[in-house]
Amino acid sequence: MSRAIGAAHGAEAGLTIQVRLFASLREHAGWDARRLALAAGTTPERVWRELGLGGGAIPATVRVAVNQAFASPHQPLAAGDELAFLPPISGG
Amino acid sequence: MAEAHPIPVEVQLHAGPFDPLALLAGGPSNTRTGGWCGALGLEAPAAEAHFIGRVRGTAATGGPLEALELEHYPGMTERQLQGLAQACAARHGVAAVLVAHRVGRARPGEALVLVAVAADRRGPAQRCGGELLEALKHEAPFWKREWSGGLGTWVEGNTPLG
Repeated sequence: MSRAIGAAHGAEAGLTIQVRLFASLREHAGWDARRLALAAGTTPERVWRELGLGGGAIPATVRVAVNQAFASPHQPLAAGDELAFLPPISGG
Repeated sequence: MAEAHPIPVEVQLHAGPFDPLALLAGGPSNTRTGGWCGALGLEAPAAEAHFIGRVRGTAATGGPLEALELEHYPGMTERQLQGLAQACAARHGVAAVLVAHRVGRARPGEALVLVAVAADRRGPAQRCGGELLEALKHEAPFWKREWSGGLGTWVEGNTPLG
């Protein structure tokens, strides 16, 4: 399988996005934000897999947000998007 | 079709301790009557429902809780709270909503959340308040970490409604 992700500074084409992690996901990964260069049509699901964030596919308990709104893990990302992976919410 | 008038909704995130009763009274700078409703430009409503949630003194493990840390997603959390409150207020036909939520490190006994709803009748006020509280627990990006015995544990999910 060809890789969909490259280092943002080396991108020649495609699109660049920002990925953010919160709470337990951030601590497991050891980082909170990264800029990534992606091939067109890349989805959050594929970003999750290629970043090796755990468990292969996105776990059912993890939610996806694009540009600070809940989104489908299968939605193609666009240039400049802010993609966030959200562990189980516990507010209130 | 008549144009829908936006329902006044105020969302506040507090990085330090806040006094929910002072917020209900309209805050120290409020010179209008009617407390928080007066601050939103409403005459005194016939019905108000209030919920205050505080940090409990016991961790999920049963040990004493030293602190509760609340992480949020700046920007998205406020937008989600505003959207959830607007939708809930419209569904129940209430007059105004105030949501205040703590972020950062809170100690047992400190206020975590305040939901206040003003309406013409007690039914919509209470139903809207209860529904909004459950919605924000599941749909607004907050994450809790309990500190007990010097160790921090992320809380996965919410306490039962009871």
